[in-house]
Amino acid sequence: MDTIIGYLNNMFGSLPKTEQMAMLKQELLGNMEEKYYELKHEGKSENEAVGIVISEFGNIDELVSELGLGEVRKEEGLSMLPMLDELAVEGFIAAKKRSGLLVGWGVGLIMLGAALLILISGLGENGFMGNVFSEDAMSMIGLIPLLLLLGPAIALFIYSGTKMEKYKYMESGFSLPYPLEAYIEQRQSAFAATYTLSLIMGVCLCVLSPIAIFVSSAFGDEYISYGVAVLLIIVAVAVFLFVYYGNIRGTYQRLLKTGDFSEEKQEEKKEEDRIVGAVAAIIWPLVTCVFLVSGFVFDQWEINWIVFPLTGILFGVFSSVYNMFKKKDAA
Amino acid sequence: MISSDVIRGYNDTMILYMLLDGESYGYEISKNIRKLSEEKYIMKETTLYSAFTRLEKNGYIDSFYLDETFGKRRTYYRITPQGLAYYRAKCEEWQITQEVINKFIKEL
Repeated sequence: MDTIIGYLNNMFGSLPKTEQMAMLKQELLGNMEEKYYELKHEGKSENEAVGIVISEFGNIDELVSELGLGEVRKEEGLSMLPMLDELAVEGFIAAKKRSGLLVGWGVGLIMLGAALLILISGLGENGFMGNVFSEDAMSMIGLIPLLLLLGPAIALFIYSGTKMEKYKYMESGFSLPYPLEAYIEQRQSAFAATYTLSLIMGVCLCVLSPIAIFVSSAFGDEYISYGVAVLLIIVAVAVFLFVYYGNIRGTYQRLLKTGDFSEEKQEEKKEEDRIVGAVAAIIWPLVTCVFLVSGFVFDQWEINWIVFPLTGILFGVFSSVYNMFKKKDAA
Repeated sequence: MISSDVIRGYNDTMILYMLLDGESYGYEISKNIRKLSEEKYIMKETTLYSAFTRLEKNGYIDSFYLDETFGKRRTYYRITPQGLAYYRAKCEEWQITQEVINKFIKEL
């Protein structure tokens, strides 16, 4: 029944909201409702009943022309938001999926680079390459794969960003024809199980990843760095799952304007971003100044880096406390 | 299934016929049309309501509200004397139309 109400709302969405219209809509809804319950009573399934009722609705333009609304509709009825068609939606979903895959690989590559860095410097510490390179040289060599992987990763980020440029117009709002919305909803609910599975797998991988360290430390302390490398690779797989499937979920939410992309959330976010962004713009340069001054003037290089993680944590606390108070005020 | 183009000129006639025996409301009328046509013609919701609007504007029918059980309000329609005259005229028109068209119909 909700589908029918949604369909009717959508049909009337672009028509002027007068009392006459409201009554006509109510009347049509009453008829459709009666037809729906009769069909159900005859033993039709939910989908069949809804399908028949909607297919026998007809064409709203017929009513519009009879009511002499043609002109009104053209002037103010149709909203200015671009209407997406099936092609645009399919294109957007495919593009988002591809860009999610690219970003997922990018993040994965960076983590792989970090894992290799630790692995190579671990090899160095253990003197495996001692006859060729010194320990210091090994930790420098470790940076090479990290940097080599960082390059393609950033290229992937930029490339996927430019690919999405085409769909930038969607940020300023869009509207969907009803059947398409219903179709996307269907796909979203079909995807829900996959998403949950990927989430569970990702979390399990993260939870289990420290096992690599325990196992390696059982062989001796000098093997711990290999454990860390394995841990990072496991986490990289988990992060890939989060990024890739989370992105697909985000695509549906964006199209249906639900979850993080609902209108009120968007408003809230804009406000939050503004305040938190303003504070960040002051705090981070200030912290950098403290870092540089304490380093150059007081020569505290070995300890002063702590200001960054410390500020990061404090800033995180600030923004969540700020959001909490904000929500309280709103409530 | 009959195409809506062919039948367009007679939707109003069908609705008026349904009101000859007394007042009725939207769904009942469309259900009876469907039944009477042996499921060969299903009048779309929007066709029905644009016909109501048109007929009422021309004074062929008038509408009133009746409260149903559960506090639901429904619009009922009844035929007016002008509506009855219009119906008769349409019937005559159809007789002639039918005669004429029939002259051009033969089985092959």
